[in-house]
Amino acid sequence: MSELIRVEGLTKRFPVEQGVFSRLAPKYVSAVEDVSFSVNAGETLGLVGESGCGKSTTGRCVIRLTEPTSGSVVFEGRDALKLKGRDLQAYRRDVQIIFQDPYASLNPRFTIGEVVAEPLTIHGIGTHAEQIKRAKELLEIVGLNPEHTNRYPHEFSGGQRQRIGIARALALNPKLIVCDEPVSALDVSIQAQVLNLLDELQDELGLTYIFIAHDLSVVQHISDRVAVMYLGRIVEVADWRQLYVAPNHPYTQSLLSAVPVPDPNVQRTRKRILLEGDVPSPIDPPTGCRFHTRCPIAQLPKCAAETPELRSVGDEHLAACHFAKPFPIDESSSPLVDEELARAVIG
Amino acid sequence: MADKLLEVKDLKMYFHTRDGIVKAVDGVSYDLEPGQTLGVVGESGSGKSVTALTMMRLVPMPPGKVEGGEVLFRGKSLLTMKEDDIRKIRGNDIAMIFQDPMTSLNPVYRIGHQISEAIMLHKGMSKKQALNRSIELLELVGIPQAKNRIKDYPHQFSGGMRQRVMIAMALSCDPAILIADEPTTALDVTIQAQILELMEELQERTGTAIIMITHDLGVVADMADSILVMYAGRMVEFGTCDEVFYRPSHPYTWGLMDSIPRHDIEEKSALCPIKGQPPSLVNVPSGCAFHPRCPHAKEICRVQEPELRSIEGKHTAACHFAGDPGFTRTEMACAMEVTA
Repeated sequence: MSELIRVEGLTKRFPVEQGVFSRLAPKYVSAVEDVSFSVNAGETLGLVGESGCGKSTTGRCVIRLTEPTSGSVVFEGRDALKLKGRDLQAYRRDVQIIFQDPYASLNPRFTIGEVVAEPLTIHGIGTHAEQIKRAKELLEIVGLNPEHTNRYPHEFSGGQRQRIGIARALALNPKLIVCDEPVSALDVSIQAQVLNLLDELQDELGLTYIFIAHDLSVVQHISDRVAVMYLGRIVEVADWRQLYVAPNHPYTQSLLSAVPVPDPNVQRTRKRILLEGDVPSPIDPPTGCRFHTRCPIAQLPKCAAETPELRSVGDEHLAACHFAKPFPIDESSSPLVDEELARAVIG
Repeated sequence: MADKLLEVKDLKMYFHTRDGIVKAVDGVSYDLEPGQTLGVVGESGSGKSVTALTMMRLVPMPPGKVEGGEVLFRGKSLLTMKEDDIRKIRGNDIAMIFQDPMTSLNPVYRIGHQISEAIMLHKGMSKKQALNRSIELLELVGIPQAKNRIKDYPHQFSGGMRQRVMIAMALSCDPAILIADEPTTALDVTIQAQILELMEELQERTGTAIIMITHDLGVVADMADSILVMYAGRMVEFGTCDEVFYRPSHPYTWGLMDSIPRHDIEEKSALCPIKGQPPSLVNVPSGCAFHPRCPHAKEICRVQEPELRSIEGKHTAACHFAGDPGFTRTEMACAMEVTA
């Protein structure tokens, strides 16, 4: 498989507005810090993490909805962050986004035909009649009635609106779609419909997805590879099976153990690795490894002093931890759930 | 058990709106024993929250109106008692935790004040005693430096911490029943794990019965002793946790189970979603409310509303075919076609 997009050293810092002394000591929210990954054509990369971990900002930087502070985004051999004018417009045709909230992402004053055809209008593709024809095609592709082009967004349910958002993203035949929490606002039965639709579209149109979500089960279902983020940094990247079966980073391990499994018998025997406290503020992130303040296996002073680099811990499996070790989290023989440690962790 | 803590019998709560009658709760029955956890699951608009709010008499009437049924708490009817009497029960014997910890605390009062308010009202303690009790409660729910933090305002707490404050508040009068309405939906998974663990621990210690309203089947599998599945305001299935998960008898429950991806298995599970969308409550389909989306629907489903059928013991399902030989999830698996 050929590489479609490579993100290197992506960093985004948002300045924090402060009082009169802000010039003296400018403060930043470091939303994304030195994030690197690549996605192959036709592949789905899942980006997971808790709120505030920078996964959405990463997605937005990739499509240049937000301009990153530094780093590079190489798309088909060219740095997309340096593109201007005509080239940038071409790039925007190749990358599209599906937003989280299907209620806020559609203009209530546009008919859905206009919503879906708007990308075509902006890029000056086809006559008006052709655009409407294309919009109808697209609605059909995403499983909506093509005769509904004259209806307004409020006439549709959440799941249907998300389909409209998907149709709009498909309008320009993009190569890459950034899906920013596309199913988290939907009910489970509708969520499964949309996930299946995304799967089918990928097979039929050869799309590449960067799939951003906080729900680990959803990400597992849709992704080929998964990257886990914590406080602006990627802590682990691997093939989905590797990541879910043999996570190496203690954060990934505790994250996976925290998600309840919809199976009472499994749930009764599972051990949770409970993390203490909350995610620290990204304005003043912890030194060294950003996870060390909550990490059950942190060893001071090393973890507080040295930032761990992503290093290989297996076949195409990277983890950013000084002490990364494969702990199969469900098995009682694993060191992390041995009694003593479990007590220390759960307290 | 001789003593039923709570009995809900054929409860009906309708809203009379301009567009018509919304049957938000239409014939829900269950009972709850001390120390038990009941999980109420369903999609948005299935009536799970309104059931709880009706019980607490927190639904504004009008437009809401109880059209039938009763709710007995320790044998006393909650729906007909005087407003003064229900106020003594609300927050005291039956407490509630709401979904959104960001909006359910009053932003202009200190945390200590908000917790001690209920204690002074229900337990007749002095302000000083109540504040001391508040500190104890905050320590109980794991808030560090509780002594200093009672002077803080809600905005000084994170989401998880605010939910802990809500729990402390709910527990302040040792309630017999704790109603938790999507208590962890707004929280991140690692924080959710903390809160669920805390609730389990407190239940063990205080023997409170919990009604856990959620759409997350994982949370239910983790916490519940028995499960009530709701659809379009109606009861679809009721049973113990194991019965509902391992021997589900209603096609809607199958659909739910087949719609959720699981992260703990090494093979990707195929998702078999339920086709179509949940019905509008103003215009509930005739007969079985689920029939337009049900792959097994027959003529009878369209015309006749199914009664709750007993499957085994207390396990019931509202489907004409529930419990029939051969009508099981495994034998009819994935018949739910992927259509829009």
